[in-house]
Amino acid sequence: MNSQKPEIIDESGDKYKYGFVTDIAADSAPKGLNEDIIRFISQKKGEPDWLLEFRLKAYEFWKTMKEPTWAKLNYDKIDYQDLSYYSAPKQKVAPKSLDEVDPELLQTYEKLGIPLKEQEVLAGVVAVDAVFDSVSVATTYRQKLAEQGIIFCSISEAVKEHPDLVKQYLGSVVPYTDNFFACLNSAVFTDGSFVYIPKGVRCPMELSTYFRINAKNTGQFERTLIVADDESYVSYLEGCTAPQRDENQLHAAIVEIVVNKNAEVKYSTVQNWYPGDKDGKGGVYNFVTKRAACRGENSKVSWTQVETGSAVTWKYPSCVLQGDNSSGEFYSVAITNNHQQADTGTKMIHIGKNTSSKIISKGISAGFSNQTYRGLVRVAPKADNARNYSQCDSLLIGSHCGSHTVPYVENRNKTAKLEHEATTSKISDEQLFYCQQRGIGEEEAVSLIVNGFCKEVMQHLPMEFAIEAAKLINISLEGSFG
Amino acid sequence: MTTPLLEIEDLHARVADKEIIKGFNLTINEGEVHAIMGPNGAGKSTLSNVICGKPGYEITSGSIRFKGKDLTKMSAEDRAREGIFLCMQYPVEIPGVAVTTFLKHSINAVRKYHNLPELDTMEFVKMVREEGKKLGIDNEMIKRPVNVGFSGGEKKRLETLQMNILKPSFAILDEADSGLDVDALKVVAEGMNALRDGKRSMLIITHYQRLLEYVVPDFVHVYADGHIVKSGDKTLAAEIEKDGYAEYTRER
Amino acid sequence: MGGLVQKVKLFGEYIPWFQAMRDKGAIAFDELGLPTPKTEAWKYTKLRDLNTDDLVIEPSNFLAEMRVAAEEACGCHHEDGGCGCHHHHGEGCCCGHHHEEGECHCHEEGHVCECQQKLHVPFEAYVIHFEKGKMIPPFPDFPRGVEVMNLMEAVLTEDAKEYLGKVVDIKLHPFAALNNAYMEEGIYLCVHKNVKVDKPIVLINHTKSGEENIFFNIRNLIVLEQGAEAEFVEWYNYTGAVKSRYFANVVNEIVLGKNAKLSHYKLQDEAFKANHIALSVVKQKSDSNYHNCCLQRGANIGRNEVKVLLNDENASAEVNAAYIMSGWATLDTTTDILHLSPRTYSSQLVKGVVGGEAKGVFQGKIHIAPDAVQTEGNQLHRALLLTDTAEIDVKPELEIFADDVKCSHGAASGELDENQLFYMQSRGIGREEAKQILIDAYLNEALDKVKNPEIRAWLSDYAHAPQE
Repeated sequence: MNSQKPEIIDESGDKYKYGFVTDIAADSAPKGLNEDIIRFISQKKGEPDWLLEFRLKAYEFWKTMKEPTWAKLNYDKIDYQDLSYYSAPKQKVAPKSLDEVDPELLQTYEKLGIPLKEQEVLAGVVAVDAVFDSVSVATTYRQKLAEQGIIFCSISEAVKEHPDLVKQYLGSVVPYTDNFFACLNSAVFTDGSFVYIPKGVRCPMELSTYFRINAKNTGQFERTLIVADDESYVSYLEGCTAPQRDENQLHAAIVEIVVNKNAEVKYSTVQNWYPGDKDGKGGVYNFVTKRAACRGENSKVSWTQVETGSAVTWKYPSCVLQGDNSSGEFYSVAITNNHQQADTGTKMIHIGKNTSSKIISKGISAGFSNQTYRGLVRVAPKADNARNYSQCDSLLIGSHCGSHTVPYVENRNKTAKLEHEATTSKISDEQLFYCQQRGIGEEEAVSLIVNGFCKEVMQHLPMEFAIEAAKLINISLEGSFG
Repeated sequence: MTTPLLEIEDLHARVADKEIIKGFNLTINEGEVHAIMGPNGAGKSTLSNVICGKPGYEITSGSIRFKGKDLTKMSAEDRAREGIFLCMQYPVEIPGVAVTTFLKHSINAVRKYHNLPELDTMEFVKMVREEGKKLGIDNEMIKRPVNVGFSGGEKKRLETLQMNILKPSFAILDEADSGLDVDALKVVAEGMNALRDGKRSMLIITHYQRLLEYVVPDFVHVYADGHIVKSGDKTLAAEIEKDGYAEYTRER
Repeated sequence: MGGLVQKVKLFGEYIPWFQAMRDKGAIAFDELGLPTPKTEAWKYTKLRDLNTDDLVIEPSNFLAEMRVAAEEACGCHHEDGGCGCHHHHGEGCCCGHHHEEGECHCHEEGHVCECQQKLHVPFEAYVIHFEKGKMIPPFPDFPRGVEVMNLMEAVLTEDAKEYLGKVVDIKLHPFAALNNAYMEEGIYLCVHKNVKVDKPIVLINHTKSGEENIFFNIRNLIVLEQGAEAEFVEWYNYTGAVKSRYFANVVNEIVLGKNAKLSHYKLQDEAFKANHIALSVVKQKSDSNYHNCCLQRGANIGRNEVKVLLNDENASAEVNAAYIMSGWATLDTTTDILHLSPRTYSSQLVKGVVGGEAKGVFQGKIHIAPDAVQTEGNQLHRALLLTDTAEIDVKPELEIFADDVKCSHGAASGELDENQLFYMQSRGIGREEAKQILIDAYLNEALDKVKNPEIRAWLSDYAHAPQE
């Protein structure tokens, strides 16, 4: 076993540059999962004992767990012993220039209006460091952020440089016992990001640019931890709006968010992993556990997601509303086409008094895809005056797809007011004709109507993200109508 | 010399196996305003939908030519781009799509068809505001989603606004006066009269004479049982108002 | 002895097709087992309290009694003065029920025995009496074209053979499987082609608490032939010691022919320690209409599950329910509407009022099969919580595989509106009375769906607020 951590320093001598991606250059672990592999990962990452302990405990527990089957998802059984839990990216096969890249992929970049240099990064033509100044951009940001006491780094780095913070919060929102995939992640997570916003600080920028580039090689088992201390604010953008060819079949990520008194966190995701081909071959299995704990009074968290990728999605960003007057929001657009399957939604757990939550979910199914909204609203006995409003709308395009809505509402407090509404519709012939009568072609009309359908959610995305996400929706639905 | 704009010959059409239009003939020349009047259920709306190419309507025989081109082979959007505008009786709601967004897509699609450059946003917004003002449409209304929660009058104003912006060479007004009070009716009529320039043509489909007092037609046709049973000038409309349709429906 | 699975000698073991069905039921129940909290269809209704250890199954005496009655009719064995009724006589009470000594007040002036009240409905009807799941003859006289038998008779005559056990899928429903395994008594009702039954047909099952905790299974098979119309009412009630933990397990199989119309009403008013689990499965042909409304107000665990299969075009179903409860009860309303053909329609309105430490459960599902286009399915559930300890769990579900459909569901829960209460108080109405008025109005919204005004009024009388 390779116990020595490879030291890689780039030309500029900037160590951080590789903070996130260094280990990628290292060897892969052999296939399979056992205690040795976990020790290997931990050692590779030079982790302290407590973290190794955490991983091993998770692994022990995971062995006793069963893969959940309750979701409306059909996929081939995953052989967890056939996966590599620590692997280098396949740099050998990287194309030398854009000429060698799948033209279909390039076409998509074109439609999204992605700058050429960025296209090269996304397609894996060139390594992140060589072409784009993104890392130094990130570093510049980092300095600017550091001036205000904001910590924004990879979680591996945080383990080394801010061990107390990580130790305090890691697993405090999503314990390793939470679910099968979260448990697996806790045992084998490779990297992810760490954000800490100190008391009274409003993060001056969307934490996004950095990620747009770096998301390329975040591993199968990403782990993100965001802590917003009292009176702070941060808006965090995850994911990449351009489709990526990702070789990893299984993704099991965890995102934990801690929101203290009067603090607010906005978390936006655009998920666009490889959805598989038209016949449903290939594609990413995406099993994600995302949860925010609103611990302090008046704390607020807002999840916005646009899910267009992955062959299989299993994802329920949740809010645990512990603090009095805390609030949680969930805005979601999920689009499935061809043979994609998504089982996604949210959980709103009302514990504190005067807590409120809002759920707006828009699902669009096309082709042979199946989509389920699955949500839970739970009001604990002491959560006086809890409020929830849920709205789940589905749009079906074509007669071979399915759209399902499974909301669970559990109320144990009489002062709670809970409302749930769901509708299903299709793009009506009348609407299409109306657009056509005004000279708008069918495909354009469909995209216009679909974007209208999603508007309530899209307006919660930061501007630059929203524009690309809108384009992405059109691309996802291409060829699904008529 | 008169140039024919729309020529319909011996048209037969059906909806779901039911023949609605039976041997319809009509020629509309440039600059003419025609009115088609008929009892409820005569298939007046079917006629406008068939001209505009609404899916679900099947032409079994006959022809429709527009500016000399065969319309029946064209998609609905291409007919619109050629310059046919249907001012609808019950325009549909499109949630989430703002009026401005919709109009921009529409006008640019038409311009592209005619190889004209797309309008830039500033130019476009300015135009919509100006045209809107004339019709009593405020800036707030054009930000709302298309027809969602609009009153009958607002819907008609929006239809008229679109007509004034797209400047079609041929407009069909399908029961444009239904559900309107006198003030709203005047607004719609003014919008229509503004388009009368000696070149553009119109087809007004209506049950009552009311609108024809404001937009005076050159020709009036009585339509019953799928075809025209009598044609005349504007005095025919007044006759019908007085005597009703009974005479025409009894004839058969 | 005790528990849900017991060895008892049952009717019809010598009839192969019938016994095979029973065996399948036993096997299916054995495989399925009792639902656990992990069973999705029973997620919120916990069966911990079912407490089946000392349950007793009493085999039917019906056929034996019939034989005796037949012999009596020929004049051979007249012993007690030609009494035409088949109640147990000799206990000294005219109402024919068991009373402790001195408890009978039947002869006091103006008194109507409690059990008498519970044996009559306040509207014209054909009433069929059951006691602890056993049919008590005689039958009322039915008009021509309406065939009514005890299920066992219909098994003997093979009238039941065509549909019995073929409407409900026992592999999906553990209690239906159990019902199969023990089925004996119940109603076989067949309304012939184009016959419209003039009065409601009412099944009253009356349970008198006894020493033992009885476990009984009722299986009704209702067939409406093409163009037939009927109203069917089920009423489950009790008298005596309220603490009896009897368990009623009811399965209705309902077949509606072309253009047939069935109105199906139910009042579940069991003893508060008793358990009542019922499943109705309805298969509908084209143009048929099924109209259902159930009021649940009794039992410890009460579950009314309605599954409707809209098999052919233009079939429609309306499934409404109301529940009102207090104490520690769990009342469960579960619906599953399957739109299996184009142009089928369904609507549901369920309203509940939960007090005490009770728990209301609503699980409603609308399924739309591929190609079942131009269908419409709507569902609305609303519940009121009256106390700090009451609980409501809701799972409305849409499962849609066709694009050209209109579907919606809504669910809401909350407490009584203080503004409304205050408004009434300000007009001089006492607070408690104001609450009652609001609660009655709340539930009546669902009960108003009952088409027959007399049945509506009757159900409405039972839909009053629980005592706090």
